[in-house]
Amino acid sequence: MISVPNRRSAVPGGIAAALAVAGLAAALPWLGVSSYGQTLVYYAAYYLALGQAWNLMSGMTGYVSFAHGAFAGIGAYAVVIALNGDWRMLPALFAAAVAAVLASLVIGATSLRLRGIAFTFATLFFQELTLLILRKLPFTGGPGGLVLQQILPTWLPYVMMIALAAAATIAVAMLRRSRLGLRILALKGDEAAAVALGIDATRIKLALFCASAAIAGLAGAAHGLFAASLYPDVVFSVDISLVALAVPMIGGVATAIGPVVGAVLYVGIRELLQVVAPQLHLTIVGLLLLLVMLFLREGIAPAVAGSIRRRVRGAAVPSPAPEGSR
Amino acid sequence: MSITLLFQLLVNGLVVGGLLSLVALGLVLIFGVMRVVNFAHGEFITLGAYATYLLVSQTGLSPLIGVPVAFALGALVGWVVQVAVIAQVTSRPELDMLMVTYALSIIGLGLFAQGFGGDFRSYAAGPSGSVSLAGVMIGWRSLTVLLFSVAMGGATLLLVQRARIGLALRALALNRDAAASCGINVVSGERVAFCLGVGIAAAAGSLISLIGTTTPTVGHEWVLDGFVVVVLGGMGSIGGALAAALAIGLVQSFTSFALDDSWAKIITYLLLYATLLLRPHGLLGRRGAEA
Amino acid sequence: MPLLEASALQKRFGGVDAVRGVAVRVEAGELLGLFGPNGAGKTTLFNLIAGAHLPDRGEIRFAGQDITRLPAFRRARLGIARTFQVVRPFRDLTVVENVLAAVPSEGASLHDGVAAAWSLLDHVGLADRANDRAGALTLGMLKRLEVARALATEPRLLLLDEPLAGLTAREAADLLAFIGGLKARTSIVMVEHNVRLSLPACDRAVVMEAGAVIAEGAPDEIRRHPEVVRAYLGEDAA
Repeated sequence: MISVPNRRSAVPGGIAAALAVAGLAAALPWLGVSSYGQTLVYYAAYYLALGQAWNLMSGMTGYVSFAHGAFAGIGAYAVVIALNGDWRMLPALFAAAVAAVLASLVIGATSLRLRGIAFTFATLFFQELTLLILRKLPFTGGPGGLVLQQILPTWLPYVMMIALAAAATIAVAMLRRSRLGLRILALKGDEAAAVALGIDATRIKLALFCASAAIAGLAGAAHGLFAASLYPDVVFSVDISLVALAVPMIGGVATAIGPVVGAVLYVGIRELLQVVAPQLHLTIVGLLLLLVMLFLREGIAPAVAGSIRRRVRGAAVPSPAPEGSR
Repeated sequence: MSITLLFQLLVNGLVVGGLLSLVALGLVLIFGVMRVVNFAHGEFITLGAYATYLLVSQTGLSPLIGVPVAFALGALVGWVVQVAVIAQVTSRPELDMLMVTYALSIIGLGLFAQGFGGDFRSYAAGPSGSVSLAGVMIGWRSLTVLLFSVAMGGATLLLVQRARIGLALRALALNRDAAASCGINVVSGERVAFCLGVGIAAAAGSLISLIGTTTPTVGHEWVLDGFVVVVLGGMGSIGGALAAALAIGLVQSFTSFALDDSWAKIITYLLLYATLLLRPHGLLGRRGAEA
Repeated sequence: MPLLEASALQKRFGGVDAVRGVAVRVEAGELLGLFGPNGAGKTTLFNLIAGAHLPDRGEIRFAGQDITRLPAFRRARLGIARTFQVVRPFRDLTVVENVLAAVPSEGASLHDGVAAAWSLLDHVGLADRANDRAGALTLGMLKRLEVARALATEPRLLLLDEPLAGLTAREAADLLAFIGGLKARTSIVMVEHNVRLSLPACDRAVVMEAGAVIAEGAPDEIRRHPEVVRAYLGEDAA
């Protein structure tokens, strides 16, 4: 459940908190935190950025995308190819975002005017097609992959990823509290009814999908710099699309805080199972997703927040006009 | 291209098409009756493949025994999953159903990957060698798969077209509410459709283990083609799906020969986009089928 | 000039002519009733005006502008709002959010939107349920919520698709009185099944049968029209 207007004052507080956490996380390399700790934080940020990207499109509209792994992969390839071609960092990152957006436009053009499962199929097959085609292209290194030819300071992709995750989270938070966000949720609730209220469904979906792809592309780009060598089967592994989807769905879909919870959980699960049973994290994440769908439909964060709120006070009341509305 | 080669490719295409029809038949049954696209379908194929592999490698039994065993195992697991999970969300929005079957798929994928690792599994037992029909060499295994596919596909069609339960399933697919008000038990109808669909998927997986190698993602790869077939066939039309399955089988067989396997996949997947773009209701589908 | 003028509208579904050469007009400030037996084509005509379907032939003009091929959302922005035969609330949003989502966002601050939404809820008598999830309301309340949501778009033409269906006699009478009171804000086209109850509230009525208009006029004329008596009222209002 959302309540747009009443907690407007909470937004700046939330943004301040998000910035503080992000600043602290970004400063870890200089605070003497172990590289293991940094890696965990880095992966949480990577998963959060992917999760918020997915959240922005699929979480807000209900159109499920399996293509976010492909967007990230395209971003990674674009940035590495551009840097190897002696582009400067900012244009290279920009190229990564643009490449991902173009990919989303291709999918959107074929399927966003259709309702229902068509979009999901289009994204699923885009993911598979990208991998197949990438292996065949001359400039992508084929199945052998690509290596970034320059050595970047390790803190650079780390800080980039944290900044991106924070920015994406703040963007989702602000959207959720805007009138536009409300109209998008109406669209998710009942597209035909929303259209009848003057909501331009196709344009909104396409715009969100592009924004979402840009974030995923940038996350992929930052990760490409972090990993420095790209193998198509790893870059385009289905895992990445799963992360993008599971992080918000488990944590709390269409909320800003949900994917934060989801990302931390996901990294935790992967890390705990890494030694004992590395593949089993899929099963655990699948089980978690299943349990959330069956019992906590809105995800963990809203469920927890809801139970706290019920204990503290009654339901939130959107502020009426200052006087005389009742 | 010599005439024998042509026949060879034709037979290869029919084998793949036969398997794809089984995969698509299960998907269409489930989608038609329950309005669920079963994203876990591929993992049921994998289940059947590994079940047959284990049966053959552990007990030395013939892989042909594996087909009915896989069917029974798939139907049983399908029954449990339907009752425990799917039935809980049938009244929820499409998004929830999609997520639930996707979650099941990931659960299965993780279990297979952890349990069997990435190795390619195959076995030597069962039909082997090949037979020459008018100069065309056909492997016994391919022939077996083709015969089983035709038999199982035919049996399922007969069941749906002729048997009482099939009538109930078709009524449910056409109009749930009307079917319910005619005294058709919606709950058990959905259960039968899911068990049957998943059972066929597992049996198809068993056949796939016979002609190929079994990996944790073998079902995933087949179900992607299955999705293409279902979309091409018009989301829910059995006849459309069967025709599309044969067409895709032949396209893949000829493309694999002329170019390579990944081009065959690329062309198959591009067909899905072309269909979405040009005929959103499938090549043979009826308009309004999405409503 | 009429507010809405449709001429020679034609719509075919499969092999069925749902609407065949229909002409209909709506004057500013009037409540037009659209009646007819099941399958007469009134819902199709309604959907053609709202933009849910596009006509095969014919023309629709709204306030002098040709809107024949405009998509539904553009018509809504021009001032054509609708409700649905089967209510379609945004169930996961609260009641006030349902209305707020419909308030046009251009130029209005968030605060203005909230005030407008609350005053509309007050108007339809749902202010005390404003923070409940829409999914928790009764059918009668949902019908009123849908009207409030449609009004939030500041329409010049409000299309009501069987607003009285499923309501108790008491609820129906209340809603009808409320709809009559809306004429000061907007013109209204009301598709209704319950002729006896709703015809007296109309300024004018159009009766359809088998995809064509068979009668048009003031309620009294409609009631006496021989075609209407034969086709429809004969069985219903005898």
